[in-house]
Amino acid sequence: MKEKILIMGGGIIGLSCAFELKKRGFQVTLLEKDQCGGQASGAAAGMLAPYSENLEGPDEFFQLCLESLQLYPEWQQQVKQISGETFEYTNSGSLYIAYHDADMLALEGRLLWQRQFGSSGTILAGDKLFRMEPMLSRNVQAALYTPEESHLYAPDYVHALEMACRVIGVEIHEHLERLTVKEWKHEILIQAANKRYFNGDRLVVCSGAWAQELANTFNIEIPVYPIRGQICAYRAEHKPVQHMVFSSQGYLVGKENSNLVCGASEDVAGFDTSVTDKGIERLRKWNKQVVPFLADHVPFHRWAGLRPSTQDGLPLIGSIHDSKRVIFAAGHYRNGILLSPVTAKYIADLIEGKKTADAYQAFSPERFGVRNC
Amino acid sequence: MQTETDVLRIGGRCLASRFFLGTGLFPNPYVQMEAIKASGAEVLTFAIRRINLENTEDDSILQHLHNESYIYLPNTSGARTADEAVRIARLARASGLSDWIKVEISVNERTLLPDPIETLRATEVLVKEGFTVLPYTSDDPVICKRLEEAGAAAVMPGAAPIGTGLGILNPYHIGLIVEEANVPIIVDAGLGSASDVVQAMELGVSGVLMNTPVAKATDPVRMAKAMRLAIEAGRLSYLAGRITKKKYASASSGLDAFQLK
Repeated sequence: MKEKILIMGGGIIGLSCAFELKKRGFQVTLLEKDQCGGQASGAAAGMLAPYSENLEGPDEFFQLCLESLQLYPEWQQQVKQISGETFEYTNSGSLYIAYHDADMLALEGRLLWQRQFGSSGTILAGDKLFRMEPMLSRNVQAALYTPEESHLYAPDYVHALEMACRVIGVEIHEHLERLTVKEWKHEILIQAANKRYFNGDRLVVCSGAWAQELANTFNIEIPVYPIRGQICAYRAEHKPVQHMVFSSQGYLVGKENSNLVCGASEDVAGFDTSVTDKGIERLRKWNKQVVPFLADHVPFHRWAGLRPSTQDGLPLIGSIHDSKRVIFAAGHYRNGILLSPVTAKYIADLIEGKKTADAYQAFSPERFGVRNC
Repeated sequence: MQTETDVLRIGGRCLASRFFLGTGLFPNPYVQMEAIKASGAEVLTFAIRRINLENTEDDSILQHLHNESYIYLPNTSGARTADEAVRIARLARASGLSDWIKVEISVNERTLLPDPIETLRATEVLVKEGFTVLPYTSDDPVICKRLEEAGAAAVMPGAAPIGTGLGILNPYHIGLIVEEANVPIIVDAGLGSASDVVQAMELGVSGVLMNTPVAKATDPVRMAKAMRLAIEAGRLSYLAGRITKKKYASASSGLDAFQLK
């Protein structure tokens, strides 16, 4: 009999780990204090864009993002097959737009290293660019086109993944309100608010911004901060943009259901998930500088989620020294959707005792230090 | 105490902090704000090309600083010619951000080393237009002097290429630049850790400008504080005057024979 795994948190990361571990034959129980996919997962625009979101260099984080992008074609197929549900997954490619000649140096610098890591990107300007994206503002001087980047419709993907988990027999418990780790060294014992206990051999912590609450339990520093991300969507019958459009201020993604999703306004508001006029107006004012057509349009939908960011921006993935029973997979910030397949694979490899890449040490959940008292 | 009167004057402003901090590369807005606070910096720099110039209060970075009283030092990074640098400097001023400008002109996308000739040209033009100009340049004493003569409010030689963290590659030159300068010298780019900062300050520079070593540290807030303390320690050590190095131990003797020659 393979080990029994408890997963704490039913966001995209918890669901992905549950799905992968169940496929590999483990008994998996997922515990969610509210409902699955309720936070950052549901508030995501679903961009699978490692090149556009890593501008500086091929560090460990970029490599992790890229590996995940490459796992996606097969991963999303499996989720669809097993769940019997479908969701949009579009290989649209992306454009990172620039408004000044002075941006060219940075775009060229990016291409220089990204072409060595699977990008077939090119810099486009003038007619070539506007033929690809006719509605784009003529103030755009140039864009870096990366054909390899994709996007998916996050709410449908999260839902399908939850279904896939249920179909293969992951036990999912929602609305548990509060989860307390009672025992973790010799076995895993977790108590829910209604006094119900759950036990297992291993614990995977996938509680995003709430992972910080476990610092005292495990005697390690867990500096994860909730960053509020506000997004809005326009209804646009004829997709105004065919590619994901990135800029220094935000992004626009056209979905096949005629939603044009744009984001994001980030701020620090504790665990408050309300939408503010300031946050959305900021996006509206910027969007018309990207696609002037949007000047006359009002977003029909606006929402916010808490993105769990660590102190150095890298996720917490890996086991802790005091007990191999406890494994973290949290703090994925803006990249939870993109990183879901690679995180699931890495966590399952760890639990199976397989050799994992040394580069993953960069994500060790103990890198911020151990608590002495 | 000496340091209370030891202020830095640039462009008619008196600065209590000698830390100039870049706002890019931070992992998230929370850590960014906390690190800025911990640094004690009064002057913040950012690339003009990345700013939403039409609505600066909405900008993805500046929105978080909106209610604070920092001095903005926008930079022309990405410009490859003097003309380009001048053009975006004017855009920054027109947007109401600041009339301080860090001239940054690079041609090589791999090293990002400054082009001193274009930098001098842009400095001349922008000084005439009334900007407070702080050019980022190579650690060459002659070009630093020429920039001062062109009217730069402070001159900012690089310690090493941007973002490398290699520390001061040519301390001899930095020392010489300080010796000959009549304007503040600020070491900009290439520093990696607190010891690099102390070294720079002990060479007599008036301040340091950093971004990567703080923003990309595992704990940027703690590193910002470390750098602030290093600046203070290095400055005090410079002002206090260090002892001469001696070859042998000596409890109290000042014998000339013991001095390391």
